[in-house]
Amino acid sequence: MSKVFIRQFSKTGISLKPGYSTVHPVHHLVKVEKSNLKPSLKELLVPHDDITSIKYRPYEIDQDRIAEHYTNTLKSDLMLNLYQYDADTIPANPKRSWGVDSPYKLYRPLKKPLGSIRTRGQIKPVTAKNIPEITGVTVHSYNKKALVEPWLDITTRLQVATLTNVKPKQLFAKRNLVEFKLRKGKPVGGKVELTGRDMTQFLSTLIELVLPRIRTFKGIKNSSGDKKGNITFGLTNEDMQFFPEIEAFQDLYPNMNGLHITIKTSASNDEQARTLLSAYGFPFTNA
Amino acid sequence: MFKSFAKPQSSSGVLTFIRGKRISATNPATERIVQQLSVLAAGRKQPKLLNLSNEDIVKHRTIMSAWKLFTRKKKRAEQEQLNQQYESICNAMNDLKETSPALFELASHKEKRLRFPLEMRFPTEYPPNRPWVYNFTGPVKKRK
Repeated sequence: MSKVFIRQFSKTGISLKPGYSTVHPVHHLVKVEKSNLKPSLKELLVPHDDITSIKYRPYEIDQDRIAEHYTNTLKSDLMLNLYQYDADTIPANPKRSWGVDSPYKLYRPLKKPLGSIRTRGQIKPVTAKNIPEITGVTVHSYNKKALVEPWLDITTRLQVATLTNVKPKQLFAKRNLVEFKLRKGKPVGGKVELTGRDMTQFLSTLIELVLPRIRTFKGIKNSSGDKKGNITFGLTNEDMQFFPEIEAFQDLYPNMNGLHITIKTSASNDEQARTLLSAYGFPFTNA
Repeated sequence: MFKSFAKPQSSSGVLTFIRGKRISATNPATERIVQQLSVLAAGRKQPKLLNLSNEDIVKHRTIMSAWKLFTRKKKRAEQEQLNQQYESICNAMNDLKETSPALFELASHKEKRLRFPLEMRFPTEYPPNRPWVYNFTGPVKKRK
């Protein structure tokens, strides 16, 4: 039977309907970075730890005595000291539901965790496989004077770069607050996330050269911590002169800014993290 | 960029043109900040890419894979030792529980604030003359 391709007012033939694909279109879902396809940029695709890569940087060029001391001595000591007989996993303390018996409760923001403001993850007993260790250090420098004098932002970032040997990320003001002269998006300093060799280098400088020479430094507060094993403390702008990178060139750095140093650990609570940091030589006080 | 021509400089009231002399439109304080910014910027600071021959690349990769193998073996041995240590801690505590409950109580007692002694140091290349104090007693605590 042949179809008649004459359009009439009374009906529209099936054959005249535009067809559609039942296959879902994917061309706009797959992200393709076109620069990666460019043959002239081929050398950027080489992994960074390959010596032929333009980003190759040799890291293991000397002995890492901080890391070695941890693996050789501290690790087994920590395991023995944090061992608890017949210890069970303490369940997490998450935010709680208000109930499901009314739509008002259902869609209400969740209740605070039991007996606390902040949530806490589960605490597993320390075994040979989860001995707490320092996983990273964040050095954060917020300069509020940079809101008034924007060039201080550059100086602050340079200071962080000098201290840590890593290029800092730019920090921006997050909101508008008239009383603090805050404008959203204004550059206010820098921060770096240290891991590996850079981290141990910074830690050894801090423990052996800087902290012992600060006269006013009594120790990290025993109350410091975010309940998840990350300890934070601060250094003032007067303490910066004790860093050996700055000590000899103090006249080059007339506008120093203080630091917030967060030591991130794999410990499941703050008390274990404090024990770990005390093994590294950080003093703790109640004051 | 293009060189900017020198602006007329007035010294003792007389304007003098210095042809072709490069002048900066900034004051020393600003120049200092520009210098600081150039230190932070990545431009021209990238070290030259090592131009290795094929043989050198093969050598390098062989050494690196051997080094990786070495570190992997070392790590595995360390983990093995830790596992054994943990097992022996558990065994010792189980033994103690059966043989001497009083000692077991003492052994399982946990300090509230467990701290390592501050006198502990990282090993250095140049250790002190008395590296280990055998009769160390710790700081004397004052009773209130």
